[in-house]
Amino acid sequence: MECNATREGANLFIAVDGRVDGTNASEFQEALEGVIEESDRLVVLDLGALSYVSSAGLRVVLLVAKELQRQSAKLAVCSLSDTVKEVFTISGFDKIIPVHGTRQEALEAS
Amino acid sequence: MAEKYKILVVDDEADVEPLVLQRMRRQIRDGRYEFVFARNGVEALKALSDDQDIDMVVSDINMPLMDGLTLLEQIPKVDPNIRSVIISAYGDMKNIRTAMNRGAFDFVTKPLDFEDLQLTIDRTLDNMEAWKEALSSRDMLVSIQKELDVASSMQQSILPTQFPQTEQYETFGSMEPARNVGGDFFDVVRLGNGLVGLAAADVSDKGVPAALFMMSSRTLLKGTALGLGQPGAVLKEVNDLLGQDNATAMFVTLVYAVYDPVTGNFTYANGGHNPPLLVHSDGGSEYLATTGGIALGVAPGMSYDERTVTLAPGDAVIMYTDGVTEAMNAADELFGEARLQEVFRQSPPRDPQSAARAVFEAVHAFAGGIKQSDDITCLVLRRKG
Repeated sequence: MECNATREGANLFIAVDGRVDGTNASEFQEALEGVIEESDRLVVLDLGALSYVSSAGLRVVLLVAKELQRQSAKLAVCSLSDTVKEVFTISGFDKIIPVHGTRQEALEAS
Repeated sequence: MAEKYKILVVDDEADVEPLVLQRMRRQIRDGRYEFVFARNGVEALKALSDDQDIDMVVSDINMPLMDGLTLLEQIPKVDPNIRSVIISAYGDMKNIRTAMNRGAFDFVTKPLDFEDLQLTIDRTLDNMEAWKEALSSRDMLVSIQKELDVASSMQQSILPTQFPQTEQYETFGSMEPARNVGGDFFDVVRLGNGLVGLAAADVSDKGVPAALFMMSSRTLLKGTALGLGQPGAVLKEVNDLLGQDNATAMFVTLVYAVYDPVTGNFTYANGGHNPPLLVHSDGGSEYLATTGGIALGVAPGMSYDERTVTLAPGDAVIMYTDGVTEAMNAADELFGEARLQEVFRQSPPRDPQSAARAVFEAVHAFAGGIKQSDDITCLVLRRKG
């Protein structure tokens, strides 16, 4: 799993690569928390290169969403593969975390 | 269990003592349990401070002088390692919830079913042993593996070991734990009126905190299931209870169903979990449409829809966790939903045990030598016919 962040003003894009499961969920959490700053207003996880996410990975996404909510910022995800989209749909996470087709759509929706 | 456990039973009804001694005589003769008795909370506290050997308390709620809920608050002051089980009126959610908040491990309902009481006592004692182990190793340098071992025995202690079956239906469930990761559990509960409640669930994390979350999920589910009945209402209640002050952001995906053996109606609500598979006696099958619910503990205040399907004689419902459908082979492919249907196409389920076994075998065969990365759970209900 690898995270690469690019910041455009108050918008932070984080591209997640590989797979996130119980064995590396805490690394995933550290990576996200390490790169998010208090001045960020919108954080978009670009999951286009994420091949698999388990419920332990979803929990990290939820934790980050809650932290961002405390600083009045938003979290969204974009570019999900079919497998990852299915995980978001089945778990119902797509009801509380906005899912977008592309980074651009995530920006426009915010 | 090789050790002998001393259990304090607290009840103001005079016939409880002879009844327990009579119905539990085999366990007493085998040297597994020793029972002592008290008539109210005051007597119970005195017994606990006089006798350091008492391992667990089984207590009624309504008693003179000091009731069971007050007793629960006092017990940890005498000995924090003592585990308590509450005897409650059937469906008395308010008291059950208060008891859980005050640290009761589990509950049984009146009138006492002694088979259930014995299973509950065994489960409580297993859990206590796991917990003691966790405490005793706390001061040492605890390896992650050690913590996972403790969590794993806590997980095992809440799984049912007996499965309801009648002339009309049969059930069976099994869980194969992954070595490191996993948080599956399942439950089968007799609800009264001949109804049976079934649940398959997956907690989002590993380790001792996740095991504790799993235990409270399971107990809240059981309590709510007995109290409320309807799956949609049950999930809503459990979600609200789990979602309060949930700073850890742990959650549980869970499908809960109530089966009515008389009509064959299977009513389920799905909280973010994999859809159960309905398999017909000719081997054809379909997934039960999701009801749109979100995983439990994520966001309080959500509502959960429910749906009913009617099982024909010979139909079976397979409830499972993502350890089945997301098992991976050497080519990084997932087992998937289609392969699960394929398991039964040529050989429809004859009985729940063999159906569950067929699922496990198919998953293992698919994975080849690839180590299982998640718990694999399969719970089967079959309408006889």
